[in-house]
Amino acid sequence: MPLDTSTYGLAHLRLDGRRWNELRRIHGQISTQAAADGSAYFEQGNTKLLCTVTGPQEPKRGGGSSRDQSNEAKVEVEINVAAFSGMDRKKRTRGDKRVQEMQYTIASAFQSTIFTHLYPHSTITLNLHVLSQDGSLLACALNAATLALIDAGVPMSDYVSACTVASAPSSDQSLDEQDPLLDLNGLEEQELPFLTVGTSGEEGKVLVLIMETRVQVGRLEAMVSVGLDGCRQIRGILDGMVREHGKQVLESRMS
Amino acid sequence: MPHATRPSTNESAFVLSALRENLRLDSRALDQYRPISLKFSSDPDVYGQTDVRMGKTRVICNVSCEVITPYSDRKFDGVFNINCELSPLIGAGVEIGRPDQAELLLSRLLEKSIRRSNALDTESLCIIAGQKCFHVRADLHVLDHDGSILDACCLALVAALQHFRRPDYEVHGEQVTVFDVREREPVKLTLQHQPFCVTTSYYDAGTIMVQDATLLEEQCREGEIVVSMNRHGEVCQIAKYGGVPVDALSVLSVVKQSWEKVKMMDSVVREALSKDERERDKGGRMKAELSAENERVMERPVG
Repeated sequence: MPLDTSTYGLAHLRLDGRRWNELRRIHGQISTQAAADGSAYFEQGNTKLLCTVTGPQEPKRGGGSSRDQSNEAKVEVEINVAAFSGMDRKKRTRGDKRVQEMQYTIASAFQSTIFTHLYPHSTITLNLHVLSQDGSLLACALNAATLALIDAGVPMSDYVSACTVASAPSSDQSLDEQDPLLDLNGLEEQELPFLTVGTSGEEGKVLVLIMETRVQVGRLEAMVSVGLDGCRQIRGILDGMVREHGKQVLESRMS
Repeated sequence: MPHATRPSTNESAFVLSALRENLRLDSRALDQYRPISLKFSSDPDVYGQTDVRMGKTRVICNVSCEVITPYSDRKFDGVFNINCELSPLIGAGVEIGRPDQAELLLSRLLEKSIRRSNALDTESLCIIAGQKCFHVRADLHVLDHDGSILDACCLALVAALQHFRRPDYEVHGEQVTVFDVREREPVKLTLQHQPFCVTTSYYDAGTIMVQDATLLEEQCREGEIVVSMNRHGEVCQIAKYGGVPVDALSVLSVVKQSWEKVKMMDSVVREALSKDERERDKGGRMKAELSAENERVMERPVG
């Protein structure tokens, strides 16, 4: 659809056959790494991530109590993007600013969701491994991290669910008829202006909102509302996964 | 930011209780910006140097350019770099050469607002495709931090880019002649649009929204939303990196409020630019030669 606008106008189907408000195939597994405190494997279409949680534990750099004055746990995030994850093999440098910014976003998002006051002077470390990238990387990372944190038993106020929304290219249609597209894949992300929205809680309050491309201010409202709806759907899916996993754990304990 | 400057519980409680009553410590309205002062270099040969003050926050920006070979994968584009540095002048714990979290976010947000949104048309910087292009470099130095450094940096940068003149050149086949500023009038850069950043800090789960927060207000806030827009209503970027969750309607109203502020900042920059142009244009290039006026140095007498 982004590369060939005419087909979208005909049947309103995107390149992978989805309609504007359909999510990609979401699949997740909880507790994939036995050695970690919490782990999860999350797939959204072809974007695949693995997340492990270590903590709460003592901060690694034990030096100086002056560094750790706050009575809250600190959330640290490390993202490792595999070189084979993209279309071309590309090894990421250590100081890549985009990755650092993503790390900060995820850490900041969970800093306000996790009940950090329960673990003063500790660190909760999230390690994310990106195995395959096909759009919506930040959103998938937030979803994967949520599952891993739940597996680790870290108390949070609610699920953090995230997704991406794009504004469809302007053809002859008027502003009102433009449907924002939900859950973008890699090609769509490169071509269209999009935003990543992350919510927390049943009422769908905006926790994270990142937009890096230019969009007319009038389109924002539609994009955000579609994004919030998408997040609500994802929250339901994540909840289903957690309950399914819980049932399995209970059944294995009982037998 | 450094731990040493974290406010005391009394201070933060005071700021919060004042905000709940719609009061700010410097008697501004919640969405009012401090008076912005934008100065260009007084040297008539120097273009692209700005000094912005927003209250006590002070940022200087310098734009310069040189001729280099373009990147092999971007043959038709020039190179545009933004380098932003927080100096130890603004507080203990900031070291030059060791970027901390705040500096990283500052540079990323500036990159997204200005580079990614193509404010400066890099194709116009190309001289000969694949061989020669201009490398425009913007250096920002934050000299004093009293909140809103991103807003001030963006304003300084956009003003400097609009003020800057690059040397004129002529291409004859494969030969490029880049003229010195004294030989030919330098040429303005092509800016496609002028983005500005507006940072909104919020308190009490998003019920209180404050713009242009001072350092103290920034340290007490629960979260922030950074919106970059140009005056035409195109949103270049929005960044809400976590913090306390906020109602979606509040986010949209913040974007609308930011638009008003962006228009205000744009008019400030335009006014300053036109005033500067009037002052520099007296008599054109031969100003020094044609004028019979002696240059008077205004100095206070000693003693």
